[in-house]
Amino acid sequence: MSVGGSTGIHSFSGVPRAEGTIGVRDRVLVLPSVICSHVVADRIAARVDGAVSAPHDHGCAQLGADNEQTRRAFLGLARNPNVAGVVVVGLGCEELQSDSVAAEMESAGVEVRELAIQGVGGTDACVEAGASVATELADGREDRRDSADLSDLTVGVVCSDLADSTVDRADPLAGEVVRRVVEAGGRAVVAGSERLVAHPDAAREATAPSAVSDLEALFERHRGAPAKVTRVARRASELGFADATVAWGGRRIEEVLAYGDRASIDSGLAVVDAPSEFAEAATGLVAAGAQIVLHVTADGIPAGHPLAPVVKVSADPGTVAALPDDVDLDASAASVDDALSRLLAVAGGEPSCAEEHGLSEFAITRVGPSM
Amino acid sequence: MAPTFTGYRRADGRVGVRNHVAVIPTSVAASSVADAIASAAGSPARATPHQMGTSQPRPAREQTERVLAGVGRNPNVGAALVVELGTEDVDAESLADEIAETGKAVETLSIREVGGTRAALARGEELVADLADEAGRARREEADASELVFGVECGGSDATSGIAANPAVGNACDRLIDDGGTASFSETPEFIGAEHILAERCVDDGVRERLLDRVSTRESMAELMGVDLRGAQPTPGNQEGGLTTIEEKSLGAISKGGTRPVRGIVDYAEQLPVGGGLVLMDTPGYDVESVVGKVAGGAQIVAFTTGRGSTTGNPIAPVIKVTGNPKTWARMANNVDVNASTVFGGESIAAVGERVYEALLAVADGRRTEAERRRLEEFAVNEIQPNELADAGADA
Amino acid sequence: MKGRVFDEAALVMSERDNVATAVDDLDEGREFDVDGSTVRLAEAVPFGHKFALAPLDAGDEVYKYGEVIGRAMAAIEPGEWVHTHNCESTRGRGDLAAAEGGADA
Repeated sequence: MSVGGSTGIHSFSGVPRAEGTIGVRDRVLVLPSVICSHVVADRIAARVDGAVSAPHDHGCAQLGADNEQTRRAFLGLARNPNVAGVVVVGLGCEELQSDSVAAEMESAGVEVRELAIQGVGGTDACVEAGASVATELADGREDRRDSADLSDLTVGVVCSDLADSTVDRADPLAGEVVRRVVEAGGRAVVAGSERLVAHPDAAREATAPSAVSDLEALFERHRGAPAKVTRVARRASELGFADATVAWGGRRIEEVLAYGDRASIDSGLAVVDAPSEFAEAATGLVAAGAQIVLHVTADGIPAGHPLAPVVKVSADPGTVAALPDDVDLDASAASVDDALSRLLAVAGGEPSCAEEHGLSEFAITRVGPSM
Repeated sequence: MAPTFTGYRRADGRVGVRNHVAVIPTSVAASSVADAIASAAGSPARATPHQMGTSQPRPAREQTERVLAGVGRNPNVGAALVVELGTEDVDAESLADEIAETGKAVETLSIREVGGTRAALARGEELVADLADEAGRARREEADASELVFGVECGGSDATSGIAANPAVGNACDRLIDDGGTASFSETPEFIGAEHILAERCVDDGVRERLLDRVSTRESMAELMGVDLRGAQPTPGNQEGGLTTIEEKSLGAISKGGTRPVRGIVDYAEQLPVGGGLVLMDTPGYDVESVVGKVAGGAQIVAFTTGRGSTTGNPIAPVIKVTGNPKTWARMANNVDVNASTVFGGESIAAVGERVYEALLAVADGRRTEAERRRLEEFAVNEIQPNELADAGADA
Repeated sequence: MKGRVFDEAALVMSERDNVATAVDDLDEGREFDVDGSTVRLAEAVPFGHKFALAPLDAGDEVYKYGEVIGRAMAAIEPGEWVHTHNCESTRGRGDLAAAEGGADA
């Protein structure tokens, strides 16, 4: 099947993983299990080629479902095909203990090392020891590449606004990409629960019967609570469901995932229960299995994500003009073939704009107050 | 005669113990740029990266604004750069104006206006260099201990915290208050089970009712999540260190504030008074968010007791680490400033308290803490969660 | 420090307390003479942890600092280690509220 379009490239070379998936990057993840160890995690990653850190605000003083969600997200991230191995760095006294987080990853087949600041005797010692195990994981990478195509991709899509330019031009382009990926046998995972919550009946109709109970669970989680991204929620309710979800390609929702969960469908569209805030959504998408993320942003939010390359799409003429180095695709000019070409080129190793400037943002969404 | 130290007297009369240039993003969308600007600019720039969204529900956004303004207004900040993407609900100009009211130099930088990430990094570095020149004109001059606002925190607690480190830091709080200063402790979930003792020390019924109300709201969060508080308090490290229940942890925790009357309780990141005695702040027990709340409230220095060995600092205020655990002192001395475990060898609480107070004044005078030496500068803003807002019946 | 230390190894913080805190790693069988009665450790008690000074029934309040820190979940003999396995908090019990169907939430 011709999947890249007549003018684009059709395949890319990726990193084969043991479980049969393909990574588009080959990164060692240095993951703090709690905010208290995040500076140490940053320093470890900075010392090792191929290592990235994922600093976040959580891991302790979280209750119940909120705590579980952070733990699930950790595991989902560790199992992403872009990850060659993980170093979990704890403080030692936190709720999400680094050793149990690491043990869970190990049982899932992840190549993992673990250490805690209190265990090794302080921050200086932890940076040294962490850099040494991260180097070991980085050196252990096989440097193999296999040819892959759209059917091997899980493309994450987050649209962080519903501005007119987004709804009119950028979301339709993203939606076309989603359609082509799914038709080629690949997967699309999308964020933006505000859109479902604003239109529950339409959302039920758009969802496969097997996934409706998970959709109802999503509604239950959001019942009575204001949305985290006020502007998107407001606009989503003004627009109809179809207009608010153009970027989802008009495909049937085959799976509704809790934040942090991995997609289990072989192909098709899955929705992640994540807000339309870019950094929080991107983490949810990467945990769901996305190797690459399409970010539709009228505002031009510039940051990437530590684990997956992010392709920035904007149709706002002001943004495209103001941020020429930060926007990968001008949706007012690009065709779906252009978009797929860029996506596959980035999947094959070409740096995205965010990778060029090198700044990334990592966040995990919360569902309960800090204690 | 009250002790003195040398600090940076600001136009609003408050005295800083450091002279940082704060680089403050208005949202997560500008956070990595702010961080990179501060890294590239080097000393004395300090970034306060955070993860608050561009379009938060109103009460959450107001809290974010209060924290960011408070951080910029902290007297340890000599000048500030506010960095925005340019589409946030938090307005960089009004945030800058609020900070500038204290008389310090403030600039704003819009990533969109300046032409993208790379241009923002270059322009940000120039602005910080100019601001550093401006701030660099300040000179340390003599100030009185009564001008100090001392934040007190405990984290990674164990049984030694309530026996040694917290009472010692509490003794230092008493000394500072007796010398006319302000001490503030917070972490409301760690009042649970000890609130009756604090309530007895409140100066009037208004403060008492407010305190008990805040404790009850925090306690009800466990009900909101439908779980046992024990899922988060005490933490596994607390338990391994001998703390069995939140009540036990709280009874040990409140001793870090000393024994003087409770004069008030302010909201998260609300301004703390100078010369105000003991004033509580309603914050989560989550250390980094809690410390940031007090620094946004104007605390120039924080003492942080830790039995297990928490290593976190803060970008704006020096954090003095105090441990009462002899094993932690032995293993992690290069992350700890004051050894309070000598209590177990017979040193009196008052004597350790005097050492903590001396450390407070020396750090105020410019001595760097272990966290400062290592640039351990954790920063996070407490985010009011949607289910809290729903529970409080707040409109978005 | 506040309270009385016995044999340089066990701290009783208030007269009212029915537990003592180990200020050293204590071995099983160690004996303390506390106000005329002998308390023999039924098990090892690590530094910072607590053991009972008096017999407790299930539901009895456990005192440290002269204040209630929780209640016994089972009968506890003098010299037994007192911790999360046999002493529970009475506060922040959202689990109990949930079990009651949230009727009082």
